[in-house]
Amino acid sequence: MRKSFWDFNRVNAERLFNNRFAILILILSVLTIFLIIRIYFLQVVSFKHFDTLSETNRIKYIQTPPRRGIIYDRNNIVLADNSSFYSVEINIKESKDVIKIINAVNKEIGLTKKEIEIFHKKKSRYSHHNSIVLKSNLNDAEIAKVLAIRYKYDGLDVTASLMRKYPHNEITAHVLGNIGYIDKKDLFVLDRKKYKNVKYTGKTGIEKYYENVLYGDPGYKRVEVNARGRQIRDIEEQSATPGSDVHLTLDIELQKFMYSKLKDYAGSSILMNPKNGEILAMVSSPTINPNDKLWNFKTDNEAIKKLKSPMFNRSINGLYSPGSTIKPILALNGLHNKIIESKTEYYAGPFFQLPNSNRRYRDWKPEGHGIVDLEKAIIQSCDVYFYMLANNLGIQKMTSFFKYFSFGEKTGIDMPYESSGVLPTNEWKVKNIGHKWTKGDTVITGIGQGYFLTTPIQLAYATSIIANNGSIVIPKLNKNIQMKKNKKILEKENYLKNKISLKDWETINNAMFKVVNQENGTAYWATKNKYNNISGKTGTVQVYSLSQKTDVREKEDIPDYLKDHSLYIGYAPKENPEIVIATIIENIGSGSKYAAPISNEIINYYFDNIREKY
Amino acid sequence: MNKILSISDSVLFVFIMLVSLFGLALLYSATNQDVDIVIRQGSRLLFCFILMIIVSSIEINKLKQLTPYIYIICLIFLAITLFWGHDSKGAKRWIIIMGFSLQVSEILKITVPMMLAWYFSLSDDKDISLKKLIFSFLIIFAPIFFVIKQPDLGTSLIILLCGTITIFLGGIRKKYIAYLSGLLIVFMPVMWKFLLLPYQKQRIITMFDPASDPLGSGYHIMQSKIAVGSGGFFGKGFLNGTQSQLEFLPERGTDFIFAVFAEEFGFIGILILLLFYMAIIIRCVYITSKAKNYFSKILSGSITAILILLIITNISMAVGVLPVVGVTLPLLSLGGSSLISIFLAFGIIFSVNRRN
Repeated sequence: MRKSFWDFNRVNAERLFNNRFAILILILSVLTIFLIIRIYFLQVVSFKHFDTLSETNRIKYIQTPPRRGIIYDRNNIVLADNSSFYSVEINIKESKDVIKIINAVNKEIGLTKKEIEIFHKKKSRYSHHNSIVLKSNLNDAEIAKVLAIRYKYDGLDVTASLMRKYPHNEITAHVLGNIGYIDKKDLFVLDRKKYKNVKYTGKTGIEKYYENVLYGDPGYKRVEVNARGRQIRDIEEQSATPGSDVHLTLDIELQKFMYSKLKDYAGSSILMNPKNGEILAMVSSPTINPNDKLWNFKTDNEAIKKLKSPMFNRSINGLYSPGSTIKPILALNGLHNKIIESKTEYYAGPFFQLPNSNRRYRDWKPEGHGIVDLEKAIIQSCDVYFYMLANNLGIQKMTSFFKYFSFGEKTGIDMPYESSGVLPTNEWKVKNIGHKWTKGDTVITGIGQGYFLTTPIQLAYATSIIANNGSIVIPKLNKNIQMKKNKKILEKENYLKNKISLKDWETINNAMFKVVNQENGTAYWATKNKYNNISGKTGTVQVYSLSQKTDVREKEDIPDYLKDHSLYIGYAPKENPEIVIATIIENIGSGSKYAAPISNEIINYYFDNIREKY
Repeated sequence: MNKILSISDSVLFVFIMLVSLFGLALLYSATNQDVDIVIRQGSRLLFCFILMIIVSSIEINKLKQLTPYIYIICLIFLAITLFWGHDSKGAKRWIIIMGFSLQVSEILKITVPMMLAWYFSLSDDKDISLKKLIFSFLIIFAPIFFVIKQPDLGTSLIILLCGTITIFLGGIRKKYIAYLSGLLIVFMPVMWKFLLLPYQKQRIITMFDPASDPLGSGYHIMQSKIAVGSGGFFGKGFLNGTQSQLEFLPERGTDFIFAVFAEEFGFIGILILLLFYMAIIIRCVYITSKAKNYFSKILSGSITAILILLIITNISMAVGVLPVVGVTLPLLSLGGSSLISIFLAFGIIFSVNRRN
C-alpha cells in the first residue's frame, strides 16, 4: 500500500523538511545580518569618506579667467584691448568619438581642411587643457547650429573667449608683443593655479613683461555636474578680478610717424627722454599685423617668408656694429685718459697702418682728411684719427671705459628677452672665436667695427648718457613705474659724473652739435630744419670688407644684403636735452644719407607736433 | 470576501501591495522623474497582479499537474530566445511576445524549483537516491544550458542556486551534500579557467578590488558604493540623491535600485525596508509551515528561501560584496520579467495557503 507508506513516512519527511527549512532560513538570516553590518559600515562608519566622494563627483570647480588689462599710450589712447568671440571646442577627455563630433560639426557649419588639420595638430601636442578649439570666430547662425547639436555629443561646446585686439595693428606690434598658447616653457614661469582655465599668455613684449599685472586674478565657479560632465547649475560664484591696465610712455602719434618713416626698410628707431628714461616711440621694421593670425604660425607662412624676419624685435635684439656712432665716446675716453687733447692736431691721410704691417686701414674719405683735431674728427667722422686713438688707448682701456656706458650689458628696459650685445676683450675673443686679440682688432674697434656689437636700445641708452653729461637713466615703457638703479649703475654714474670733467663732456657735445649744424658736418645736409638745436652722430657700418688690393669701391655691384648699415644717434635740444634718438637701417647705405635725415625728421616732428601736448 | 478574490492572507497581500507601490515611487526617482517609465511599470504591475490572482485561484494540485507542461513551455521559449531572440548589448535574452519583451530566464527562478518539487512528489519514497539526484540536476541544467548560451552566466548561477535550494529542502542526504561540496571545490579553478569569459573574470576581480579598473566595470561598483555610503544614517531625501539624480550611478532602475534607495533614505530607511521584506517572508514561512501537501510544502519553502536569496544577492551587488550578476531586487526593480516571476511565486504561495 503505497498510500500507507507515505502516511507512515509522513512524520519523518515533514520533520526532515522542517529541519532543512530551518537550516536554510538560518543561513540566509546570518547572511542578511552580515549584509546589514556591511551597510552600517558603509553608511554610518564610512559616511564621511563616501560623502566626500559623492561631493567630488558632483561638484566641479571651474576657474573663470579674468579680463586682461588694457594697454594705453601716454595720452590714454588704447593700444591693446579685448573683444569677445565664440568658438567651437571639443573636450577630448569627455568626448567618446572625436572624429564623429568633427564630422557632425562639419556637416552643420562646414570646416576647412586646414581647421581640421590644425585641430589634430593641437590635439597631439602637449596641453594642460583638455578643450581644443575646432573653429573660432563663429557668427550667430553658426553658434545656433552648433548649440542645436551639442546635446548629442559629450565634450562638444561653444565657448566665449576674449581676444586681444591691437587697434594700431603693426605700428605697435613689437613693443606690445603678442599673446599665444601656453606651452610647457610658460608653465615653468606661470602660477599654474591661476591659469587652469586659460589658454593664452603674453609671449613677447609688454604683454609678456607685464603678464602678472595684465592678467589679474581668476574667479571661480562651483557648479554641479552630472556624470557626463554637463553643468546642471551654479552653486557658488566668485567673479574674477580683472587685470590692471598698463599705461605706457609711448606717444602713439609719434610712434605712427616713426613707423611711417621706417616701414619701407629693415631696421629700428628708438626715441627716448634722457631725463626720465621714458620711451616715446620704438619701432622695429619689418613687422606684421598682430591682429592677423600670422603670429601663431611662425616662419612657415608664405607672407612671413617674403618679409625680412618680421618677428624679430630689432630694437632690443638686433645686434649691430655701432660704427662711427661710437666715436664721441671713444673721443671722451681719449680726453679722459689724457691720450689726446681737444686742440691737438694730427695729420690724417687716406689710411692708417700699424708698425711692421702692410695692412691698410682705410678712411671712408679716399683722399683723407688732412690736418684734424678732435672736433673735426667727430664732425667729419675721420676714421684715421680714431684708428690712431684706438691704437694708443689699447683694447683694455677702451672696453673698461665702454663699460661705463653699459655696452655688453642689458640696459634693463622693461621688455623681455633683451640682448646684451658684445663688448669684446681678449678673453672674449679666445673663448668665442678661438684666437688671441690682435692690434688690428683694436684699431677697427676704434671706428665701431669688428666684434663690437650693440643693440639699438643700447645706443639710445648710451646717447642719453652723453646728453645728460654722465647722468644715467634706465629706459622704460611703463609710465607708472620707477626704474631702480642698482649699485653697479650708481657706481658707473658716480664715475661718469665726477671723474670725467664737464669740459670733456662739453667738448664732445659741442662736436656732436656741429655734426648737424656746421656745414662740413656729416649730418648737416641731412637735416633741413635746424631750429631745434639737434646734436648727433652718423654711422656707416660695413657689412663686408673691401679688398686690400683695390681702392675702387664699386657699390653698385654689391647685393642688397652686403650693403652698409646706416646708423644715427642724436639728441635735442643742445642745452638741457629732452629727447634722444637712435636709428639703424639695415643694408641701405651711409648714415648721413638715411638714418640721419629720418632721425632728425622724427625729432623735428616731436618738437613741432608732440611736445606742445605736455 | 478575501476567499472570493483568492487572496487568502491579507497581511501578506497588504505588504506586497505596499512594497510594490513604493517601488513605483522609487522608480520615479531612479529614472530622473521619467513619468512614462513609471506608468509603463505601473501597467506591468497591474498585469502581474492579475496574473497573481489567477494563479492563486488555481487549485494547488491542479498547478502540480500543470507543472511539467509549464516547464516544457519554458524550455521551448528558451530555445526560441536563443534563435530568434532580441539582441541587446551582444546578448540574446529577450523574446518579443505580442509587443511585450519577455526574459524567460527570469521566470526559471520559479519554474525550475516547481519542476523539481513536482519530480520529488512523484514517488512516495521521499528518500533521494543517486539516480533521483542526477535526474534532478538534469532538470536544472537543461534550461541553464540555454541561458549560458545567451550568454548570461549570472542568471544561470542564480537558477542553479534556486534549484539547489529545492533539492536541499527535498531532503538530499548529507552524504551527497558533502560529495557535491567537494566536487564544487575541485571544479572551481577549472570553471575559472575554461568556463568564464574574460569580462566575467574581470567582474569578479574588480569586485574584490574596484580601484583596479575605476573606469570600466569597477566604476559601477564604486559609484554604487558611493551612493550607498553617502546616504548616511538618514539619507539625502527622496529625489535628492546626487549619485542617482546626476546619473553617476549606472543601471539605476534595475541592478542598482537598492543604491538609489540607500542614498535617498539612508540606513534607517534600509532597516524599515528590510522590516517590510521580513513581514512578507515571515508570512511565507508561516504558510509553508502550514502546508498540508508535500508538493506545496517544498515549493512554498523553496519560494520563500529564493525570495530571501534574491534580496540578499541584489543588495550584495549594490554594496560591493558580490560581482554584478544582474539580479533584480524583488518588487522594486524595473522590468516586467522579474516582476512576473515574483508575482507568479506569490500566486503559488496564496494558492498553497488556500489549500491550508
